[in-house]
This record gives sequence, structure tokens and C-alpha cells, in this order.
Amino acid sequence: MKTVLLLALLSLCGALGDVSLAKGMKQVGALPTLRPGALLVLGSKMARNGAVLVGLLSLIAAFLTFVVLLSWADLSFIVPATSLHFVLATLGAKWILQEHINRLRWFGTILVGLGVALLALPS
Amino acid sequence: MKTAVVLLLALLAQAGGNVCLSQGMRQMSAASQLGSPAIVALLLWGLANPTIWLGMGLLGVFFGLYAAALSWADLSVVLPATALGYVLNVACGAYVLHETVTPARWAGVLLIGLGVGCMSWSVRRPALTGRTIGDL
Repeated sequence: MKTVLLLALLSLCGALGDVSLAKGMKQVGALPTLRPGALLVLGSKMARNGAVLVGLLSLIAAFLTFVVLLSWADLSFIVPATSLHFVLATLGAKWILQEHINRLRWFGTILVGLGVALLALPS
Repeated sequence: MKTAVVLLLALLAQAGGNVCLSQGMRQMSAASQLGSPAIVALLLWGLANPTIWLGMGLLGVFFGLYAAALSWADLSVVLPATALGYVLNVACGAYVLHETVTPARWAGVLLIGLGVGCMSWSVRRPALTGRTIGDL
């Protein structure tokens, strides 16, 4: 039960982190080069962007939950089980945001759900 | 090409970081006995473990590369790469950490990879269709 609750928390924080970070990085702008100076400028812009900060905090929360989970569960179980956040994101998009979900996305969501169910089978 | 190389490096760093974190956390043999109030103590204890620091460093590299890729490519382009990441992590669990990965678990990971691939493609399709209609 403890594992299921923490997996749910991990999935929620991961989904929020991905979306916020993607939104924030689009606002910050593309990285023109990998030179240290450009990286510093980008880092400074990221530190002042609200969506990036929300994304970072969510991903830090997801990371801490992940580390705690690793203390008692297998890596080969925990990492694929985090894909549950794709299922949560699709259900949230449909029922909360009222978005149209096409058939291919539903098919992918079902495959991910079935995959997580197979992972949960006792070894 | 640049996106593919950066994402491949990111996934390798992520898998390496996860292996280090898993090993570090397993060195704390009493961890599984701890209740929720002890989670903070467990995290503090983890901060003194060099393997965990190495894992966090590699995951920091992953985060930097992932964020850089997101700055020039759409999430719908970056996301399919994460499907490969699941398989890579399970392979590391099986062959580096010697975890028991049953055929059912392998099948589950492959389904997840396919599912994430379908979901990513479903995001890309409307954009391609829209462009075609616009061009007409």
C-alpha cells in the first residue's frame, strides 16, 4: 500500500514537472550553443521563470519520492511503473481539461496501463 | 541529429544515475524497516553516501541535457526517447544490479515502450495533418 501511494505521488509530481518545465523552457527560449557563457545566461533566465521553478520543484519532489522507493523496491519495477503518469495525464486531460483524446492516444494509454499491470504481477 | 545524440547521452546518464542511486539506497539495509516518520532521517543518511552523490550528479547531467533538448525540440519529439529509457533502466536492473526480471516484467516494459511511442505519435499527427491542410 505504501508503495502504491508513493508511486501515485511520484507520477503526479512527474507529470506536473514535465508539463511545467516544457512550458517554461519555451518561454526561456532555445539554447543557441553549449558554450559555458550561454549556459550561464540560460540558467539565469530559468531561475527567474515561474513555470521552470514549478517544474523544478515538482521534479525534486518526484525525485525524493523515487529515492525513498528505491530503498525497498527494485529499479526494474519502479522506473517502468513511473509511466503511470502518462495514464494520469491522459485521464486528467479528458475529464478535467475536457480535451479531445484521439484513438491512438487511448490505445497508447491502454498499452501503458497493461504494461504497468504486468509489472505488478508477483515474480 | 543533435537532438538524438543529446537524448542518447541523457538516457545513458539517467540509467547510470539510477543504478548508483539504487545501489546506494540498498547499502542502507535497514531502510525497508523504517516507517514514514523516518523517511527524513533516511534522506539525511543518504546525503552521506558517495554512491548516492554520484547518482545524483549523473541525474543532474540528465536533467541538463533533457532541458536543453526541450529548449529546441517539442515535448512530443523528446518524449518518445523516454520509451527507450524504460527498457534501458530495466536492462541495467537485470544485468548490473542482478535483479530478477521475469518474462512478464519484460513484456510489461515492452508494452509501456510501445504505449508511450503511440501516445507521442498521437500528439505529432494532428500537427502534420494541419500543415498538409494549410498547404492545400
